[in-house]
Amino acid sequence: MSAKNAVLGLVIERPGYGYDLARRLQERFGSSGFAPTGVYSALDQLSSEALVRSAGSRADATTERAAPRTIYEATPKGVDHFEEWMLGGSSLAPVRDELYMKIALSKPHNLARLIELARSQEEDCLARLASLREPAARPGGGPRAWSDVAVLLVRDAEIKQLQARVEWLQRARAVMGKLNGAQIRAVARGDRSA
Amino acid sequence: MSSGAQLSLEQVSKSYWRGPHETAVLKDISLSVFPGECVAVWGQRGSGKTTLLKVAAGLEAPESGVVSFKDQDLGGMSRTGLVRLLREEIGWARRSGPESDELEMLDYVALPLLKRQNLRRARRRSAAALARVGVRECSKARWEDLTDGERTLVSIAHAMVRQPSLLVVDDPTANLDVLQREEVMGLLRSTAEQDWLGVLITVPDMPSMVHAHRIGSLSDGRLLVPSGASPERDNVVEFPVRGRAAPG
Repeated sequence: MSAKNAVLGLVIERPGYGYDLARRLQERFGSSGFAPTGVYSALDQLSSEALVRSAGSRADATTERAAPRTIYEATPKGVDHFEEWMLGGSSLAPVRDELYMKIALSKPHNLARLIELARSQEEDCLARLASLREPAARPGGGPRAWSDVAVLLVRDAEIKQLQARVEWLQRARAVMGKLNGAQIRAVARGDRSA
Repeated sequence: MSSGAQLSLEQVSKSYWRGPHETAVLKDISLSVFPGECVAVWGQRGSGKTTLLKVAAGLEAPESGVVSFKDQDLGGMSRTGLVRLLREEIGWARRSGPESDELEMLDYVALPLLKRQNLRRARRRSAAALARVGVRECSKARWEDLTDGERTLVSIAHAMVRQPSLLVVDDPTANLDVLQREEVMGLLRSTAEQDWLGVLITVPDMPSMVHAHRIGSLSDGRLLVPSGASPERDNVVEFPVRGRAAPG
């Protein structure tokens, strides 16, 4: 999935310039792995398909840049395209994971290194979870606006994926640890009997 | 010298015996909870979360290591001292509710105060505690009439009514939907901040952890605490893109 529809959705929510959109993309879809530069290629593509257009430019007084920034807004065609995308089906992301491939193709002597890799991925997952923490307590009670709930649901989906990952990593680590231990003991026995 | 921590565990280990087999549940766990912060520990089923909480709250003794409450070693404390601590300073939120089905929640939450106060004053504080957690309307209800969300909140009120310095809750978000979970977690966080107490909870579900000030993961008896840094949040930088005179 490219950043195209996400960027289009953000432009429809509020027109903005490239850097602003890159920042908003990062805020909303930080762990989807879109590169910050992806915004610029998405904007190029959206412009060439006439889904967004320049809504003028603005000089930025806060920096010393000479060129003014281009503000992008959605065209009516862009809004239609987004609505169509919203109504369309959503594909399940393919699971194409490097660690899975490594495990599938590994040999027993790789176990120790794979255990280390699993441990370090677990730490990465937790660090990412820590980075998703709410910055401040939310004033309690009362119903929330749909936009808040939507953000909450998407964040939940993201965290649940991290959780599934950590649970699997812990189980994989435990099994690999057991087999690796058995292997080390077998080698030690072999040494003694030799 | 005072560490400033409400609770601290230093290299705590504990294991259980099943017949001749020893299973290490906690291995060398070190963890501190400071006033004003909510610390959440996540772990899979059977990872030892509840054991960790019981050891932290002084309900079970570790085999090795030190558990201190406000710099006092629980291991060296007299039985009377420990009982006083459990009654007054550590609020353990019980999830099982009152023993009697007849009790109204106003009286249930007032129970922990009755040794020290008369019923009228205890009820007044109970009403305040129920209002504080947002279930004032449950005062006259019985346990069996409450939803899971209300039960959690009443349990927290029951633990909070004695104004403890440490609140310990095992799995406060069990059976709650997303919105109820947000409410309970928001309450625990704001309670820590506003009442300046330490809050230690366990959760089986990672989304519950985003409101905690600090988080940890328990697996294989060991506690993994990620660093609080959030590098991913700050890595959007403006830079020129090839083929563009001025990134727009």
